[in-house]
Amino acid sequence: MSTFEKVVEILVEAKDLEAGNITETSTWDDLGLDSLDTVELVMSVEDAFGVSLEMDETMQTVGDVVKAIEALK
Amino acid sequence: MIHTPICDLLGIRYPVLQGGMAWIADAELAAAVSNAGGLGIISAMNAGGDWVREQIRKAKSLTSQPFGVNIMLASPHVEEVAQIVVEEQVAVVTTGAGNPSKYMKAWLGAGIKVIPVVASTGMAKLVVRNGASAVIAEGGESGGHVGELSTIVLVPQVCDAVDVPVIAAGGIADGRGIAAAFALGASGVQMGTAFLVARECNVHQNYKDKVLKAKDIDTMRTGIRSGHPVRVLKNQFARDYAKMEFDSNVTDEALEQYGAGSLRKAAVEGDNQQGSFMCGQIAGMIQEERTASEIIKSIMAQTEQIVTGGCPWVK
Ligand SMILES: Cc1cc2nc3c(=O)[nH]c(=O)nc-3n(C[C@H](O)[C@H](O)[C@H](O)COP(=O)(O)O)c2cc1C
Repeated sequence: MSTFEKVVEILVEAKDLEAGNITETSTWDDLGLDSLDTVELVMSVEDAFGVSLEMDETMQTVGDVVKAIEALK
Repeated sequence: MIHTPICDLLGIRYPVLQGGMAWIADAELAAAVSNAGGLGIISAMNAGGDWVREQIRKAKSLTSQPFGVNIMLASPHVEEVAQIVVEEQVAVVTTGAGNPSKYMKAWLGAGIKVIPVVASTGMAKLVVRNGASAVIAEGGESGGHVGELSTIVLVPQVCDAVDVPVIAAGGIADGRGIAAAFALGASGVQMGTAFLVARECNVHQNYKDKVLKAKDIDTMRTGIRSGHPVRVLKNQFARDYAKMEFDSNVTDEALEQYGAGSLRKAAVEGDNQQGSFMCGQIAGMIQEERTASEIIKSIMAQTEQIVTGGCPWVK
């Protein structure tokens, strides 16, 4: 499973989103997620990948998170 | 033992009401709650008179304890249903979604206890002036149609505004919540979300599973544009709907059509694609399916422990 697929799986599971609506360029806004949702996402991602992420303004899309994970792995 | 004016008013053992829940609260759930010592309530929602009458009779066959009927004032069948509760001599009527004043004389004349749901002190005063036996002060934490004010803000102000017993609703699902409601001046509570996952609740299993899985921030409000906000679980459907509300290219009619029947799809079919899973913010604390009796007994035991233990900060 690619990092992107895993992130999508986390989002679908935790936030009840439809996998088909999520692409690398999806923004939090596109997905209807607010800052509290992204905090949870970061924690789930950290648990799943064993990395430590900083959620800042540079992380606006699903792809940004995927890139950050891959840079740390 | 906990005994409040609500127990005396309604002839029940525990001052706990199961809130009316459209498409969900039927005779079986209501009877289970009443048999457990609370007050079960059948939801008349938008249903026709025949269905409501059948449910009332069914509940009577399942329990000898008092139970209530929740009448949605926006229902197209409200006139008919308002008459049926009189004919069937229902013990208690609760009302939602509007001002029940028009019907109150007939209900009170028939000996029915009338307990409107209110979301403001003004509405509380109005219904009490018209003879309400008690009021349910429902905060915006609740599932379903919601007002602006939170329970902790609304309940003490309603208690100050009226001289009938006040029942607190919205965000209560354990003994801490009930103890807090008592501290705010309420003499009873109404719970909806907590009873959604009762074993005797006939809602679709997918619905229960979603409530059990939900965490603290997993609900949102839709219907803000129409002026009738509804608290639901966040799913794709709810997010899409909320987005359409802010899109000025989407007409009110299109929006209404998009949302039509979505609670039924959730409650009856368990449809996550087009379903609105109405649910309160307290869902995050609800972890297991239990019988109505287990829910009420454990919550009341915890309440008693908390209120008799007093406040740990007072020395
Ligand atoms: C699924 C659902 C449907 C509801 N439908 C109605 C209704 O038809 N009429 C009504 O007066 N209240 C309705 N409510 C509100 C409940 O009766 C109750 O006041 C509320 O759930 C209390 O808040 P809680 O969910 O935090 O316990 C509904 C609540 C839920 C969760």
